[in-house]
Amino acid sequence: MHIEREQVGSDVLLKVAGRLDTPNAKPFEASLMEVVSTTDGGIVVNLAGVDYVSSSGLRALLVAGKAMRGAKRKLALASLQPQIREVFDISGFSTLFEIS
Amino acid sequence: MTVLAEILAGLGLLFVGLRIMATHLQQATGRKVRRLLRGATRSPLAGLACGTLAGLAMQSSNAVAVVCGNLVRGGVFATRDAIPVVAGGNVGTAGLVFIAAIDFRLVVLYLVAAVGFTFHLRLDRRSAWREWMGVGLGLALALLGLDFIKHGPADIDVEALAGTLSAGITPLLAFGLGFLASAVTQSSSTPTILVVALIQARLLGLHDAFFLVLGANLGSGFAVLISSSGLAGTGRQLCYVHVLVKVAGCLLVGAAFAVLGAAGADPFALLAGAGGGTPTASVSVLFLLLQVAGALPVALLRGTAEAIAMRLSPPTVEDDAARPRFIDAQARQDPATALDLAERETLRLLHQLPLLLPDLDGAEAGDAQVRLGTWRGGASVALAVDHFLADLIAHGMPRESLRIALHHQSLLETVRTLQDTLHDFTEVIEGFEDVPPLGFNLSEALRAIVLSLADAAGAEAADLDIIITLAGDRSELLNRIRRQLAASALGSDVDTRQLLFATSLFERAVWLVRRIAVALRTPDNEAKREASVAADTDLKRVEADAHRA
Repeated sequence: MHIEREQVGSDVLLKVAGRLDTPNAKPFEASLMEVVSTTDGGIVVNLAGVDYVSSSGLRALLVAGKAMRGAKRKLALASLQPQIREVFDISGFSTLFEIS
Repeated sequence: MTVLAEILAGLGLLFVGLRIMATHLQQATGRKVRRLLRGATRSPLAGLACGTLAGLAMQSSNAVAVVCGNLVRGGVFATRDAIPVVAGGNVGTAGLVFIAAIDFRLVVLYLVAAVGFTFHLRLDRRSAWREWMGVGLGLALALLGLDFIKHGPADIDVEALAGTLSAGITPLLAFGLGFLASAVTQSSSTPTILVVALIQARLLGLHDAFFLVLGANLGSGFAVLISSSGLAGTGRQLCYVHVLVKVAGCLLVGAAFAVLGAAGADPFALLAGAGGGTPTASVSVLFLLLQVAGALPVALLRGTAEAIAMRLSPPTVEDDAARPRFIDAQARQDPATALDLAERETLRLLHQLPLLLPDLDGAEAGDAQVRLGTWRGGASVALAVDHFLADLIAHGMPRESLRIALHHQSLLETVRTLQDTLHDFTEVIEGFEDVPPLGFNLSEALRAIVLSLADAAGAEAADLDIIITLAGDRSELLNRIRRQLAASALGSDVDTRQLLFATSLFERAVWLVRRIAVALRTPDNEAKREASVAADTDLKRVEADAHRA
């Protein structure tokens, strides 16, 4: 898994590539939480390079999503591949995040 | 030929009668025995006494062991507490052997008549009567069978046959025959009752009877072990306790006879004396002696017995999962605390829900046996909590506490349904040789939702709000997936049907998750706070009443 961080105005853009599976979920969650705690603006996670997501990956996003909700900030997802979008739709996670 | 027919008919009646009697006794006394056994935890001797009474009431040490196994798994008492009870159950079964030793011909005839009349008068329409009439019928048939066996050889030269038998039966052969007979009948009392009948028919002497009964006693222990080979964990541990009782009884009585013989005394004369000169009574005394000699050391050294049983059959995942951690019968005295414990137990069940689903991600999909054990254990705990709440409600409580108890019951019912739905879903997913992409997505999506519910259970209301949103209605999406699935020729027909079934189970599970999150959300928490205040008020009122009194 590879994560690239980019500052876009007050928001942070995270470009994720690879598999969001059990081994990668913890480092992914740690990266997200680090951004949550060190910035004030919104976060956009670009998942264009992600071709696999499991329950652990979804859970990592939920943990970050809860923290952002608590801080009244926005966590958005972008550029999901169709098969990844299906997982988000089936699991209901697409109702928790703004997806573009 | 008539003699053979009478003996065979007697055996048939004996076996059928004992089976009918045991079945109806268990139905008639099962609930009372359970209540009795709940008080068996005070001391090893109390457990032994309760087990003896239970064995006497049920006339089956196996049935007592099964009840104990269920109570251990239900968390009513620990394996350690069950050991004296199982040991005592063996002692109780001696009751029937003593009854068989009495000359009962006239009693049997009256018993058959009484049972016949009660059936003719259709008293069996009342359930309470029906079971006891069944017990009477079983006992009458068994005793009638014994009567056939005893009087069957009346027309033959008994003395000559007894002489031939006595010359042909060595102690080792008698022991082996007893062992075999108990293995076939799965009981030590049935072959002993047969021995009693053979002694009454003057076909057997006390010396041969001794070795037969000894063999039967040991054989029944091993028969239980073989018949319970499908069991594991706690259930099997109590079977080993059974074997320990039988082995200890045989060793101690056998050693006592050997020591007495070496000291110049005649142990058989002593046994004959113990029976008051009646050989049948001596056999009954011997049977009782074997059970007591086995039961007492096992009950008193229950720590050692437990260690041996644990070593031979370690607890399974199911045993561990089936043990309630919070609810306790004594907590019923204080409804507020009891409700709190029931809630904690329910939350623990919610935290275990993700373990019911396969983790398809990565190399480890998890052990199907572990999931099965967790599901069975969790179902057992849910049932125990349900009974706990029902008992609590039956004992009476303040109105607010009652409202919370009913709310808990409703929540628990939903949790139980979700447990079963997740298990069914897992079975479908595990049924695929290669899980198709849709199956994978459904499974991982459901796992993510259930993991989130487990995290949110007992947490803040905001977390539950997220679950309520997450588990919103998705019937439109799933219907679209089903239509696509039906239109496409994905894999075999069986796979398509299974996937369709998986979508239904998924939808049901998500709906149940939402119901649970809603139930956990506000009303319960508010009610809990109100009940806490109400409980304090009640307590103050009781204290004030007590003070005034």
